[in-house]
Amino acid sequence: MNALLGQNGDESGIPNAGILIEFAEAAVGADSPRLDAARAAVIEAMGGAALSDAAGVAALFNAIDRVADSTGIPLEEEKAELTADMRDQLGINEFGAVPEA
Amino acid sequence: MGSLSFDAAPVPVRDDIAAALPRVWARIGEPGSWLTAEQRVAIAAEARNVAGCTLCEDRKAAVSPYAITGEHSHLGALPAVWVDVIHRVISDPSRLTERWFREVTDGGISVEEYVELIGVVVSVVGIDTYCLGIDQAAPAIPAPKPGAPSPDKPDQLNAELAWVPTLDADVDGPLQQEFYAGAPANIRRALTLVPATARSFWEMANTLYMNGAQMRDFGTEYRAISHAQIEMIAGRVSALNQCVY
Repeated sequence: MNALLGQNGDESGIPNAGILIEFAEAAVGADSPRLDAARAAVIEAMGGAALSDAAGVAALFNAIDRVADSTGIPLEEEKAELTADMRDQLGINEFGAVPEA
Repeated sequence: MGSLSFDAAPVPVRDDIAAALPRVWARIGEPGSWLTAEQRVAIAAEARNVAGCTLCEDRKAAVSPYAITGEHSHLGALPAVWVDVIHRVISDPSRLTERWFREVTDGGISVEEYVELIGVVVSVVGIDTYCLGIDQAAPAIPAPKPGAPSPDKPDQLNAELAWVPTLDADVDGPLQQEFYAGAPANIRRALTLVPATARSFWEMANTLYMNGAQMRDFGTEYRAISHAQIEMIAGRVSALNQCVY
């Protein structure tokens, strides 16, 4: 879980975690040289088809996050209960916090 | 002009992506359910215009984006309320509030138009992000096709789940069978006020990510990356976007 929130994923046990996290960050950022390097690293380690599929996931979640945020869709009750401790520990509940205008 | 093709893509692109994304992209230039093709094309162009908006930059940096007033750097083709929706959804989506949503839908855009506008915006976000990811030039925005919108709204709506009304999941009907088959996560309901918008979004989503059955089938890998790698990328992007859902 810590890989999702800022660490490089090396301890996750997921193959090529660091390379894919770097690509995910670069794909939704504004740093072109960083993205160029991240693409090259994915292709070298995993091949072009993996780059395409990784780009697909990053793209979809860049879009679907905006669907959720703009329509006010709530987290399902069962998911909220199951993840309560985790969300609290990782600070996820503070995402998007806005002081009352 | 304005078409999307992966025939010359720099990396191998799955057949389903190569087929689906051009269809999703082309629909931007077609009359929608509540919006004209001209409006849809203007929304797409404005979505791409957000990057240079100084008001959005100031709001993003502020403790509260609602304390900063001003005018967006915009293309001049859409009403101010529509421009504000597009810019906030692109630049600072995690801090959208229900209060803001009620204000905009009470004063300048109908809820149906809002949902369809969101559909156009996220189609641009998804396809542009994918093209950038594989180092292919983003496609030109389609030219608008003639014709009037074809208004379509489900008869059975739930007004309690989300800010926007959604297709009622407690009724069994053809739309429910189309959108809610399997385990209907709340996100599946989000755009169902405008079925054509939901349909197009999920066509994009199911190819860029996985469909529901593939997502739950941990015994089979459907992509060149594993389920674990997919969910790690998804989680990291959502954390960067500060999306709680």
